[in-house]
Amino acid sequence: MKYATWLVLAPALLLMAGAALAETGYTLRVTDLKAKPFLDAETLAKLPEKAEVEIVLRQGPWMQVKTKDKQLGYVRMLQLRLGSATTAKDSGGWVSVLGTGPSSPRPTTTATVTTGVRGFSEEELKAAQPNKAEYEKMKGFAAAPDQAAAYAASSKLEARAVPYYGEDGKPLKDQGGKK
Amino acid sequence: MRPVHVAGIALALAVAALLVACAGGKAGGFNIPNVDVNQLVQNVKGLQAVSEPEEIEIGGGVTETLLGARPMENDIELQRYVNVVGLWVARQSERPNLPWHFAVNDSDYINAFATPGGNVIITKGMIRVLHNESELAGVIGHEVSHVVRKHHLNAIRKNAAFGLVMQGVQVTAQSGKSQELVNALVGPTKDLYARGLDKSDEFEADRMGVVIAARAGYDPWGLPSALQTLAGVNPDDNYVKLLFKTHPAPSARLEKLGIAMSTSFDSITGGSESNERFLRVTERIRTAPVK
Repeated sequence: MKYATWLVLAPALLLMAGAALAETGYTLRVTDLKAKPFLDAETLAKLPEKAEVEIVLRQGPWMQVKTKDKQLGYVRMLQLRLGSATTAKDSGGWVSVLGTGPSSPRPTTTATVTTGVRGFSEEELKAAQPNKAEYEKMKGFAAAPDQAAAYAASSKLEARAVPYYGEDGKPLKDQGGKK
Repeated sequence: MRPVHVAGIALALAVAALLVACAGGKAGGFNIPNVDVNQLVQNVKGLQAVSEPEEIEIGGGVTETLLGARPMENDIELQRYVNVVGLWVARQSERPNLPWHFAVNDSDYINAFATPGGNVIITKGMIRVLHNESELAGVIGHEVSHVVRKHHLNAIRKNAAFGLVMQGVQVTAQSGKSQELVNALVGPTKDLYARGLDKSDEFEADRMGVVIAARAGYDPWGLPSALQTLAGVNPDDNYVKLLFKTHPAPSARLEKLGIAMSTSFDSITGGSESNERFLRVTERIRTAPVK
């Protein structure tokens, strides 16, 4: 490959490699950076609004993050928005729709990719014709309850009683959970 | 449960009880031969009432059209996987015994759909942006909640063409051929799934979905986590246009869920043992380049 081609490609490759390593986010408001994922844990710092962080891991309502000055700590998930605060207004800075999974290529922008994309747009929905064979196929994949239970057991998933909650965050008394 | 449903069920039960009382009143010389209690109860509830078998028939027709828009992803392991996870989650709902079917379609766009009677379709594009099985369980819990609360069925009942749908249901029951029903459902299906449900239905499905996933042993924060990803997606992107048109903005959903969940779910954890399998089964989809 010619040197000139590499000059053109290298920034793109670097961008992809860098992007594959980290998911980023920013604070929606002034937020406590906690030492541990608990509300009463020590507060390490007060992050200002729109402080950019790197997402390290997800843990229930918490995200372990690394701040710009490399400080590790925990922030409530709902205090963060993914992407980049500084560029969210233009085409960059958004979360990629092509995947945020650990091993996905995860480009940092949603550069328009239209060729070969299989859509499910309003237009495509409106043009649809029923496909009976496909629904029969879907039904053919149905699992049996004992398969589901065996899978749950192998994954250490235990059924438990959890009540529904109302909009106000209060448990609903008439729906106390299944068990 | 909403008051209107309670009232409807109470009325139906009262009529049924009355009929049982009457049927038992033979000694008094009062007899009602050949009374179809179910039919009578249905008539009392109004012609628009839909039984569970009818709901399942209707859901099948709706699903045929959604799969007509985009067929299933060609990945047997993935389809089996979402059915096992999906059924496990759905079994923790108030309608555990419906014939639940789950599918991943081959759309790159981010979305998920429920249809009456227990069918759930998740797009490949949605799978691609999920991080773990708790997020998948949360998305499934949201869709299962639509079925539990009959959100789509009730919306279809309000469609002007619902008379034709019920006519199709009757023909299907008599002949076993569902073509008329499926044809009658094409219009209402396209209307509903392009327009979306009421926002309040979506918020309710979020609150219930979190709980159903938690009942199944998953991290209840899976659904908010998936919504957080969606909140970071450019809303002008074609990949999310239909999802964003038919649902409240992810940021609004997160705000509402934040109030409903507060810190009540902080001590409920789980689901981490299943993540390895999630990553393995979905790896092909997550790593394959979109052309």
